[in-house]
Amino acid sequence: MSNWRGLLSRAAGLWQRQERMQDLQREIESHLELEADELQESGISAEESRHAARRAFGNTALVAEDVRALRSLSWVEGLGRDLRYAGRALRKSPGFTSVAVLTLALGIGANTAIFSAIDALMLRPLPFSHAEQLVRLYATKNNVAIEGFYAGSPSPPDLRDYAQASHSFQNMVVYDAWRKNVSYGDAAGEPEQMSVGLVPAAYFQVLEVKPLMGRLFTEEENEEGKNYVAAISAHLWKTRYAGDRVILGRKIRINDEPYTIIAVMPDVIPQWMEARHPGLIEVWTPFAFADAWSEASRRTHGYDALGRLKTGVPLEQAQADLSTIAAALAAAHPLDQGNGVAIKPLADTRVGTLRPMLFLLMGAVSLILLIACVNLANLLLARNAARERELAVRVALGAGRGGLVRQLFAETLLLSLIGATVGVALAQTGLTALARMHPKNLPQLDSVSLDWRVLVFTVIVSLLTSLLFGLAPALTGTRLNLVDALKQGGRSGTSGVHSQHTRKLLVVTEMAMSLMLLVGASLLVQSILHLERQSLGIRQDHLLKGHFYLPGVRYPDPGTLTRFCDEFARRVRAVPGVIEASITTIYPPNNGWTQMLGIPGHPATRIEGIPAAQFGVTDAHFIRTMGIPLLRGRDFAESDNASSPPVALITQEFRDRYFPTEDPIGRQIHIGPPPFLQIAPGANITDASDVTIIGVVGAFRNAGLARPPEPQIIALYSQHPLVNYGFKDIVIRTASEPHLLGPEIRRQLHQLDADMPFAQVQTMDELVEQETGGQRFTTALLASFALGGLALAIVGIYGVVSFLVTQRTQELAVRMAIGATPTTVLWHVLKQSLGAATLGATLGLLGAVAAQRLTSGLLFGISSLDPVTFAASAVFLLAVAAIASAIPAARVLRIDPARALRQD
Amino acid sequence: MPPGNVPSRTELLQGTLDMLILRTLLFGPAHGHQIAKHIQRTTEDVLQVEHGSLYPALHRMERKGWIVSKWEMSKERNRELKYYRLTPTGRKQLAHEESKWKQMAKAVARVMWPGPGELS
Repeated sequence: MSNWRGLLSRAAGLWQRQERMQDLQREIESHLELEADELQESGISAEESRHAARRAFGNTALVAEDVRALRSLSWVEGLGRDLRYAGRALRKSPGFTSVAVLTLALGIGANTAIFSAIDALMLRPLPFSHAEQLVRLYATKNNVAIEGFYAGSPSPPDLRDYAQASHSFQNMVVYDAWRKNVSYGDAAGEPEQMSVGLVPAAYFQVLEVKPLMGRLFTEEENEEGKNYVAAISAHLWKTRYAGDRVILGRKIRINDEPYTIIAVMPDVIPQWMEARHPGLIEVWTPFAFADAWSEASRRTHGYDALGRLKTGVPLEQAQADLSTIAAALAAAHPLDQGNGVAIKPLADTRVGTLRPMLFLLMGAVSLILLIACVNLANLLLARNAARERELAVRVALGAGRGGLVRQLFAETLLLSLIGATVGVALAQTGLTALARMHPKNLPQLDSVSLDWRVLVFTVIVSLLTSLLFGLAPALTGTRLNLVDALKQGGRSGTSGVHSQHTRKLLVVTEMAMSLMLLVGASLLVQSILHLERQSLGIRQDHLLKGHFYLPGVRYPDPGTLTRFCDEFARRVRAVPGVIEASITTIYPPNNGWTQMLGIPGHPATRIEGIPAAQFGVTDAHFIRTMGIPLLRGRDFAESDNASSPPVALITQEFRDRYFPTEDPIGRQIHIGPPPFLQIAPGANITDASDVTIIGVVGAFRNAGLARPPEPQIIALYSQHPLVNYGFKDIVIRTASEPHLLGPEIRRQLHQLDADMPFAQVQTMDELVEQETGGQRFTTALLASFALGGLALAIVGIYGVVSFLVTQRTQELAVRMAIGATPTTVLWHVLKQSLGAATLGATLGLLGAVAAQRLTSGLLFGISSLDPVTFAASAVFLLAVAAIASAIPAARVLRIDPARALRQD
Repeated sequence: MPPGNVPSRTELLQGTLDMLILRTLLFGPAHGHQIAKHIQRTTEDVLQVEHGSLYPALHRMERKGWIVSKWEMSKERNRELKYYRLTPTGRKQLAHEESKWKQMAKAVARVMWPGPGELS
């Protein structure tokens, strides 16, 4: 460590220096004694001669200084001394020091924390080789990206055709993940529900992830019935199988069926990759869906797809290539009409829809750094202007220009160092807080850590600012005419006009930037409040929901499923504290299951013309449990069962869309694709049944929080055996705190089936919160930046005004002496700062209007140019500015003209 | 010193002081006070050595290796004093300074009192 050696030798040098200076002192003293002796010999008194000797010698300290200057070529030592002086100087003005340090710390800390977080979220390189070649493929409908719940890959047969016809890709894969009940070991054990990847070997091949042990799935294993093989993660292998060396060939039980472990995969696939599915995926089985590849399923989206581009193929070329193929497919297959594909670099899909929001955050936090720098500049300018006299006195006493600059440099450096240290602490605390509050849909935040590159960058930026503004006045200051500076020190009413302008300009900048932040943050806060507080169309409070899955091995037919669900719901309703309960596949705010319909009066010959609606199956208690109002007709009854004619409820949206003028009650509709599509009944979760509409219920959010409700049809699982699957949720309306009932519901479930996990237990409120988690997280950050910016602006204005008052005390005193009332003088001072503030606010409003494009896509229920928000933010900021200037300005009222004028 | 760079007044004086100190030390080791007194006496008090510049000069010359110093007992004063001695480098430096000074004195003299030989 050559650094250490360097430090050691410098330390030794310092020690030697100390010795030498003592030596010089001794030498000078002996000189003085010799001189005094000599004088005494010529008959002068001892006392007198000592004085004379000293006089003859001159300033001993100056000599020592000269020798030291001669010797102190080690800048470290000089800096050390300057830093000690600087420390003393900073301690002498604690107000300035603490505000400057806090300003620096906020700028450095906030930027380091946010950029570190954003780095972890979406900037870090992907953990795959040649990750730039990796893309995700999304299905589009009529060239528009499908958003929200239906966002997904093109259908498997389409993707297969893309892969065959494309010249741009090395490989492509379509895959999926399902929540399944998993237990470990050779015997059945306590299962847990987790997402299981359903992937062909190509999934790992595209990502270029090789098994640590074992082999990838074969093509044959992608066939239903031959798919009882599994790959597990190294983490799972170590924790669940104790790192058993002979793991290959052991069993893992998935949905009560044994799968043979054939591979251990490295822990490299990050959770965000499959963020659509809750939790980290640690078990993979083959992609074995016979009907996924049928011609009939060309229209089914919603899988996941990845592709690896050939080396050097640009994204645009690949996209053009795919679009050409899509057009050919649409011409060849009627089901593919309107279907297209869009590709996105995998790296860009990391944070999903939060991407623009995070860029906004980056912008906002940069503004904070800018405001902090402006503030710092302001503080330093004010401080140094106030010290003009001190500096001039130093020069008059013989301080060299170099020494003066060096000392100011040391002061600024010390300030920056302290600021940076506090900033690092702040960043670390901030990051810990971020990681703790991180929403579930941003799993990357788990691995966030302080980014030193960002830290170095922000420290350098603030250091440069400090040096620029800390030294500039010093450099000009040393050029000042000493006499002028000394004379003006007391009566500086006319001096520093230029620097006053600079300071006002800084206030204007600060105001403008904090207003932009304030407007942006309040728009987003309002947006998220709208989003969270909107009515979902149900009674959201006191609702608990949980998910369970009835594995096909033990529940092989719809009748068994129905009996189990009905019995479970009946038992839950009997639990004290439960008001109502319903087994359902539907719950707001997302439904995610559509069915094509046949509706009289809506004949469809073209695929675009086929009526469709959100679909789901429940038991008869659904609308009562959810608190959805019945608008017309009747609710389901217990008498509606497997043996009675199928009935259905529709929402108001459905009625408006398909029965705008007639009464829908009693009308029959067909659920399922029209015959011309030749889709086998039951294939691809499609139904094929006729139902009679018995009631119209209120619309509720079923296409996401931010989207208007889509037409919804509610049917009974008992009457739709084709689509009565093992995936079910239970929704429970409770009398008191819903979570208190969770364990009891789980106990009821386990009484019926001890091996059935009860998963994703949460209240409806929590579900909504989770949906908005990412937005709430980023909005909270933005709001805190706006507050930080505001605080800095307040400090800035306060500082400028209080400096103004101090600097101009005498001028103001003169005004008062010749008859101005204190109020006039107060107004005179306030006018200046408020003028600057108003100008800043105006510029800020213009800036916010210019920046509205950034927020417009992120807002819900509020316009990005909402006049109330703009006006209120401006008024608020001006009011704050007025208070911040009024407090120091009020000092004017305490000026005693007589005393102020006598000073200096 | 690069050509065309006129030596400043302080530098000129400093150089002179260095030369005078070196010349004084040619007689043998001396302490600071002795050096100052010697220069003063020899120049009949024309050159007052400012003590303020003497010690920095001594330290500078020591750093350059022209002189060395040592604390020694003074017999006549009965106390420890810091004695400076000329080094061989110092001797060379003295010769160098001397010739430089002579050259300059000659040059100045030519301007001030032009002789007949110089005019022809």
